[in-house]
Amino acid sequence: MIVGLYVPGESIIHRLSAGLKLIALFCIGIILIVLDGSMPLATLAMGVAFVFIFVAGLGLQHLWMATRPLLIWFALIALAQIWFADMQTAANVILRLLALVWTAAIVTYTTRLTDMSTVIARLCEPLRPLGVSPDRVAFLITLTIRLIPAVFETVRDVREAQRARGLERVYLAGFVPVLTRVLRQSDDLSDALVARGFERWDGS
Amino acid sequence: MIELDHVSVRFQDRIVLDDISVSLSEHRIGVIGDNGSGKSTFARLLNGLLVPDNGFVKVQDLDTRTDGKEIRSRVGFLFQNPNNQIVMPTVSEEVELGLKPLKLAAVDRARRVEETLKRFSLTHLADRSAHLLSGGEKQLLALAGVMVTEPDILVCDEPTTLLDRRNATHVMRLIADLPCQVIFITHHVEHLDDFDRVLVIANGKITNDGSPTNTIPQYLETLT
Repeated sequence: MIVGLYVPGESIIHRLSAGLKLIALFCIGIILIVLDGSMPLATLAMGVAFVFIFVAGLGLQHLWMATRPLLIWFALIALAQIWFADMQTAANVILRLLALVWTAAIVTYTTRLTDMSTVIARLCEPLRPLGVSPDRVAFLITLTIRLIPAVFETVRDVREAQRARGLERVYLAGFVPVLTRVLRQSDDLSDALVARGFERWDGS
Repeated sequence: MIELDHVSVRFQDRIVLDDISVSLSEHRIGVIGDNGSGKSTFARLLNGLLVPDNGFVKVQDLDTRTDGKEIRSRVGFLFQNPNNQIVMPTVSEEVELGLKPLKLAAVDRARRVEETLKRFSLTHLADRSAHLLSGGEKQLLALAGVMVTEPDILVCDEPTTLLDRRNATHVMRLIADLPCQVIFITHHVEHLDDFDRVLVIANGKITNDGSPTNTIPQYLETLT
């Protein structure tokens, strides 16, 4: 699974500024949350996201890639809603979540992480007098997104090594090697960042 | 010019480097030695990633203990595993990251990135996911990410160890053309034939130092 993967392109959505896309995503998110129970609106938002994914030159597989890892959560949320409320509420919640995930997917597929991080840094600028480094906050978010696939890869490697030794059903046995590898990778990454001047960002 | 004066490094009770004194001024210097001999520790001293327990390391008259930030702006470092060095999601963003501390204007930054991608034959991969490149391409990208800042000195810690022969040769050819001083740590002694000087490290000490024609055969003899 690759999270937050930019898909290069020349579409009108690619060319929109990262700030505009993030503001649009924020507004759509607020509307979908505030207008509780508005099923037509959620359906409309899903429809718009569906159309926009093609306008961006992407395909259904990209929507599927964004949706697949969340299916289990959607199922759990739907079950909880049916249990505590009713079927219509469950459908409404899932449609709104889907609309939000698809909209967010369009933004991430069409926006370079660097451009997004520049916007985040700008948004954090008012916090500078409080000692917050906007560049570092933006980079932290970028790095977190970037490292999600790396952690998944580590988990996969450890599970493969376990399978090769006939331990495929002993899930807990993988925990320590995964943790050890991730910590070692963090150390190496930290060295690499220092070597590339991370400590000199913000003129510090 | 890098100078090590009576440098010792200990990890807990183990002495990794023991009272090393050496000046490094040649254009291309190779460092060879067995696993655990202290080569990587030696490399990390040269840009202040590690500071010595005793003695001092000076790079262009700056002390790594007190001027680490400034030294790291002049000394680039290429790691063995590019996966640990590549941070950003796409190739062009990864190259651009190195320029962040320089606070260049967007236009200048874009120009530098474009030039560097071209120089390392990565232009066609500019928008590709760095995570999905081949091992050789990743190491090229790591090298481009370091060289975009135009360092005075490049320290390479076994950058060809994980590469096949073709990619290793390609990386070596690019490194050979670099104008900056190169300190190259490696197991692959055949890469050092045309270097100006080779140091052999064993058990934390420099046991041989001279031209590749003298040091490499003597080192290979100790392996048999």
